[in-house]
Amino acid sequence: MKKIIILKYGELTTKKDNINYFIKTLKKNISEVLENIEHEIYYDFGRMFIYVAEKDIDEVVNILQNIFGIFEIIIGFKDENTNIESIKSNVLNLVCDKEFKTFKVITKRSDKSYPTNSMEINNIVGEYLLTNISNIAVDVHKPEFLINIEIRKNEILYYFNGIKGLGGYPVGTLGKGLLMLSGGIDSPVAGYMTIKRGVKIEAIYFESPPHTSELAKDKVIKLARVLAKYNSNIKLHIINFTEIQETILKNIEHEYLITIMRRMMYRISAIIAHNNKCNILINGESIGQVASQTLTSMRAINEVIKMPVIRPLACFDKLEIISIAKKINTYEISTLPYEDCCTIFVPLHPVINPDIAKCNLYEKNIDVDKLVHKAIKNHEVIDIKAKEDNKFIDIL
Amino acid sequence: MIYLDYSATTPVSYEVLDTVSKVSKEFVGNANSLHALGLKSANLLESATKQIADIFSINPNEIVYTSGATEANNMAIIGVAMANHRKGKHIIVSKLEHPSVYVICDYLKSIGFEISYVNNDENGLIDFDDLKNKIREDTILVSICMVNSEVGVRQPLKIIRQIIKKENIATIFHSDMTQAIGKVPVNFHDVDLASMSAHKIFGPKGIGFLYKSSMIKITPLIYGSGKSNELKPGTPPLPLIAALSKAIRLANNDLEKRERFVNLLNEKIVKFLEQYPNIKINKTKYSIPQILNISIMNIMPETFLHILDKYEIYVGTNTACSSGNISNSVMAIYNDSKRAKHTIRISLSYVTTTDEINKFLEVFKEEYEKISL
Repeated sequence: MKKIIILKYGELTTKKDNINYFIKTLKKNISEVLENIEHEIYYDFGRMFIYVAEKDIDEVVNILQNIFGIFEIIIGFKDENTNIESIKSNVLNLVCDKEFKTFKVITKRSDKSYPTNSMEINNIVGEYLLTNISNIAVDVHKPEFLINIEIRKNEILYYFNGIKGLGGYPVGTLGKGLLMLSGGIDSPVAGYMTIKRGVKIEAIYFESPPHTSELAKDKVIKLARVLAKYNSNIKLHIINFTEIQETILKNIEHEYLITIMRRMMYRISAIIAHNNKCNILINGESIGQVASQTLTSMRAINEVIKMPVIRPLACFDKLEIISIAKKINTYEISTLPYEDCCTIFVPLHPVINPDIAKCNLYEKNIDVDKLVHKAIKNHEVIDIKAKEDNKFIDIL
Repeated sequence: MIYLDYSATTPVSYEVLDTVSKVSKEFVGNANSLHALGLKSANLLESATKQIADIFSINPNEIVYTSGATEANNMAIIGVAMANHRKGKHIIVSKLEHPSVYVICDYLKSIGFEISYVNNDENGLIDFDDLKNKIREDTILVSICMVNSEVGVRQPLKIIRQIIKKENIATIFHSDMTQAIGKVPVNFHDVDLASMSAHKIFGPKGIGFLYKSSMIKITPLIYGSGKSNELKPGTPPLPLIAALSKAIRLANNDLEKRERFVNLLNEKIVKFLEQYPNIKINKTKYSIPQILNISIMNIMPETFLHILDKYEIYVGTNTACSSGNISNSVMAIYNDSKRAKHTIRISLSYVTTTDEINKFLEVFKEEYEKISL
């Protein structure tokens, strides 16, 4: 018998006319992450089959657990011997080391010319297991263990309970968005949730050297690397924000520092997004969490751009966000203690309900367009892969 | 020189030594520092740790660097005892442990803990029924080495874990894997805690690590600052850590092929020694080929050791850490005190050559037959 990996699609099955596009994208995404492993992929509208060498199966299953668009990952066994006696002994061999008390056999016959019908096969195999394994029973309603037998043309497929996949849509099926990535807990989670909806992301990070350190930048690169695992790779735009921040500090009313700073970030992000064919901005704002995230603040900040801003965490509380951050392994990185450009120069009492007219008035003191374009002109781009190149190959 | 005491320690390999020197020269920053040099060191530390974690399929934060296996054993056994003394004060160890484990147990006994010693069968295998019977509600820890250092008996840790957890799910399982890592395949997921040391696998002396599953908590023995690890604070010894990581990587290449080769050498020696009625081979079906223990019943082992010294041939008397005493492990398996007093440990490595073994056997024949007359 040959082991194969069977994937069941996630939400895709609700799509009608463009389902083929979704499945093709999923196949492309899987091929990309498996580029270093020899594999073959076949699919129909119900499932995808992946053939890899037996030694690679565990690794491939691990990788597939990070791919959006997969509802379930199942390891199946394929055999060319289709007679009923071999079905019986194959099933017994495959299940004898599994632990279960109740089971159910489900047979599907895509080859209708097969002499025995599905119900009969269920009965024959079920009876055979009952006589050969002690202390088990059939339960057709709530079985602990499902035994699937699929009779296809010239081959039989056996499979059992699978591993839950991540669900969601295949990345890229819904275009691209630009994630405003800080070093905090929220923004990586916001990125993860957007990727889950099939949006491929790029990320933008604002640094203020020498006020922020290389360590803070390194931390953001690490966060991007975690997200790259779900996104296949991430283009990270790094904006030097020092001049803008210092200009704001010198020329703007201190209680409006954060508001104006955020407005500048939005302006830069929207242009970078547009230039890179991203249709939306994404950030980790959560209603009421800090002064810049009150409803009036969001309005005063958002009004400088026309591009839609998706805030996946808007209605989440901090504990919910932390639990997702822990699940996707960004929490430990996010809580490393380095300053980022939002946490330096924080006024004692930032304005909670900023006034748009005042924002516009204060911004007259600085040359907004010039600052924005200078920052964009000099920005740095890093391509981040999920797997870090071993920088220390000659040492380790 | 013919070195046949690889289980006591190994020379540092050229590649690993190169790492120690490179890292000492090029990575001068403290991995805890905020500046760019510190970051460079922190990145190397992270990569080194990740490499180890990947090789053993564990999480990087489950690795605690120590000065070696003795420190790791202390950290694990005393750490579990201190963290769980309210739940119970009963600890079980085998009769085949490294001496350091017994010294730790003696200390814990002196402060109110109770230690039980689980029996083994005539092959050195843990007596599963005895283990089952000895586990109680207040048993907080079982410590059983994966490969015994004197006779090389390998224990089936997966089965032992199942027995322990079936009897008492809260009992923590520690294994000293010092003699196993780099010689045979290991699976850290069979245990909650495991100790190892770099100098047994061609790494430098003074570094090793404790594997601590993220599912359990132990009390730290050492207190200080530094972000690296709460169980082992202070400045991480980066040259040694990088060397450890490299030594582990190199040791895990072709593990099975190397084991097969060493087995051939081992069998050659056994076949040769079987001609002498006064030499007993302390080898059971669970002994790994890298460790070959024999008892020369008609000569004191030290005497023979010194004779071999003249030829620059080096073998061990039971473990280096317990020289002078009788071999606990041979006693525990064969229950014969004379046999346990007369042991010599020949330990082999994949770098041992057939020529070396031939020469050793030639010298052995000449000198042994001379002294036996």
